[in-house]
Amino acid sequence: MSLPSGVGLKGVPLVQPGPAAPSRGLGRLAPAVPGAIALFLLFLAPMAFMLVFSFWRTDVDFNLVPDWNINNYTKFFTVPTYLRTFLKTMLMAAAVTAAGLAAALPFCYFLVRYVSRRRQRLVLLAVIVPFWTSYLLRVYAWQAILGERGALNQALQAIGILDEPSRLFVYNDIGVFIVLVYVYFPFAALALYAALEKFDFSQLYAAQDLGARPDQAFRHILVPQIRSGIITACIFMFIPILGEFLTPTLVGGVQGSLIANLVVNFFRGAQIAQGAAFAIIIAVFVTALLVVFRKYLRIEDVVARE
Amino acid sequence: MWWLVSRQIDPLETMPVSPYARPTRWVLWLWAVAVLVFLYLPIAFLVLFSFNEPRTPGLPIVNLTLHWYEVAAGNSLLLEAVKNSIIVAVAVAFLATLIGTMAAFPLVRGGIRHADSVRILATMPIMLPGILLGIAMLIFFRRVLDLELSLLTVIAGHLVFTTPFVVLIVAARLQGFDQRLEWAAADLGASPRQALRHVILPLISPAIAAGALISVTLSIDEFIITFFTVGPQVTLPLYIYTQIKFGVTPEVNAVATVLLLATVALLFGSGLVLRAGRRLLRQGGR
Repeated sequence: MSLPSGVGLKGVPLVQPGPAAPSRGLGRLAPAVPGAIALFLLFLAPMAFMLVFSFWRTDVDFNLVPDWNINNYTKFFTVPTYLRTFLKTMLMAAAVTAAGLAAALPFCYFLVRYVSRRRQRLVLLAVIVPFWTSYLLRVYAWQAILGERGALNQALQAIGILDEPSRLFVYNDIGVFIVLVYVYFPFAALALYAALEKFDFSQLYAAQDLGARPDQAFRHILVPQIRSGIITACIFMFIPILGEFLTPTLVGGVQGSLIANLVVNFFRGAQIAQGAAFAIIIAVFVTALLVVFRKYLRIEDVVARE
Repeated sequence: MWWLVSRQIDPLETMPVSPYARPTRWVLWLWAVAVLVFLYLPIAFLVLFSFNEPRTPGLPIVNLTLHWYEVAAGNSLLLEAVKNSIIVAVAVAFLATLIGTMAAFPLVRGGIRHADSVRILATMPIMLPGILLGIAMLIFFRRVLDLELSLLTVIAGHLVFTTPFVVLIVAARLQGFDQRLEWAAADLGASPRQALRHVILPLISPAIAAGALISVTLSIDEFIITFFTVGPQVTLPLYIYTQIKFGVTPEVNAVATVLLLATVALLFGSGLVLRAGRRLLRQGGR
C-alpha cells in the first residue's frame, strides 16, 4: 500500500515533531493577542497620549489645548526648584542604592557561603515576605518608629540622650532615606542572592593560593561574576525611587519632596500638560536605564523566584 | 539566631586561610542578624501597637487588648473597602492569569521576532514606577476615552502590572518544561488541544496558580495605581492611607495586622503550590 505523496516519513519529522501544523506561523502568536491588546490599551496608548499632552497646554479652565509647544519641558530646566528637586531625587536614589547594596552584599555573601541550603531558603523567605507585603503598611510602620512620638524618640528619651521629642528623624531627608533603604532592600537581596548562588566559592581559595590578597580576590574574581546581580539590584532600587511619592508624603514632610511629588502636585492642581511633561522626563530616563542595562537585568531573579 | 551559623561546611572551610577569616565570619553573622532585625522590627511594632489600648498608636504599651479589632470589625466603611478590594483582586487575578498564561506560550516557544525587545516591552509595566502608569491611565481614561472612574478602571489599572508577573512566572515554568512530553503525547495520537488539556496544563498548573495568588496579593496591596484610577469608591489601601493621613488610631494597626497575615498566607499558599509543582515536574520528567 503506498502512501499519498506528502504524507509519510517526509511529512512527519521523527526527531522533532513540535507543535502540530495549525499552530505554525502566525497561529502560534494567537495566544498572545489578548496580552498584546491589554498592553497596548492600558500601557502603550496611555503613555503615548501622555507624551502628546506633554506638548500641549492647559488653559485657565484646566482644559487641554492642542497648542503645540515645549514650554512644559523648558520649565523643567529653567525653574531652579524643579531642577534642584530632580537632582536631589537622583542623589537620594544613588544614596539609597549604595546603602542597599552595602547592606545586601555582606548579608547575601554570608547567607550563601556560611549557611546551609535548608536554612538559606528559610532566611530568604524571611526577606521575601516583607517584599510582598503592602508597601503602604511598611512605610506606615516606620512612621510609628521615627515619628515625634515614635519608638525611637521614646527610647532615646528613656536612656536620657534626648530631653524632649525630636523631629530629627521624620519630616526630612533622613527619614525618607531610612524608609527607602528599608523598602527596597529586599530587591537588592534577592538579586544578589540569585547571583551569588551560582558562584563557586572555591575560586576564592584558588585565587588566594595563587597569591591574591582577599580584597584582590574579591575585586577580580567575585565581583565580575556577580556583575549582573549587582546591576539588577541597582536598577531595582534606583528606578522606583525616581517615582517615589508616598514615602516623601508620609515621612518626608515639606523638605523631603522628590520629583514624583512635583508630578502629583501638578495633577492635583489640574496642570495636566505640565505634569505629563515631568512624568515623561522620568519615563524616558527610566527607559534609557533599562535599555542600557538590558543585558544584565534579570527581572525574573527578583520577581519570579520560587 | 545561633542556627544561622551551620557547622557542616566543606573541609576547605576549616583550612586556616587567613587569621581574619574567623572574625570576618562573625562580623558577617552579626550583620545578617542586624539586617533581619531591621527588616522585622517595624513590622513587629506595627503588630504590637494593634493590641495597645491608648488612642494613638505608639509606646508605651499600656494594656493589651483586642478592642481595636472589634472596632475595625464594626466599621462599615472599612468593611465596604475590604469588599471592594476583594472584588477587584478576584477579577484582576482571573483576568491577569488568563491573559498572562496565554501570552507566556509564544514568548517562550518562539515565533516572536525581536523576542528580546518584546520581553522588555512586556515587563516594562513592572519596572516603570507605578505613579507613571497611574497618571498615564488617569489621563487616558478621563481625557481621551472620557470614562467614568470606577472599580472597573481600577481593575484595568491593576491588570497592567499583574499580567507581566503572571507571564514571568508561567514563562519560567514553561522554560523548564520537557517538551518531549508533548511530542510523546502527539506521538500517541493526542491532538494539540488534547496535549494542552491533559499534558501541558496539568504540568504548568502550579505556576498558573502561583501567578493567580501573586496577582491577588499585589492587587490587594496596591495603592498608587488605585489612587489614580479609582472613582468615589474606597479600597482597603485607600482607606488605610486616609486613616494614616488624617487621624490614625490603632484600628489601622489592627487592619494592617490582618492584611499582613492574609498576605503571608497567600504567599505561603503560592510557595506551596509551586513546590508541589516542582515535584510533579520532576516526576513527569522521568
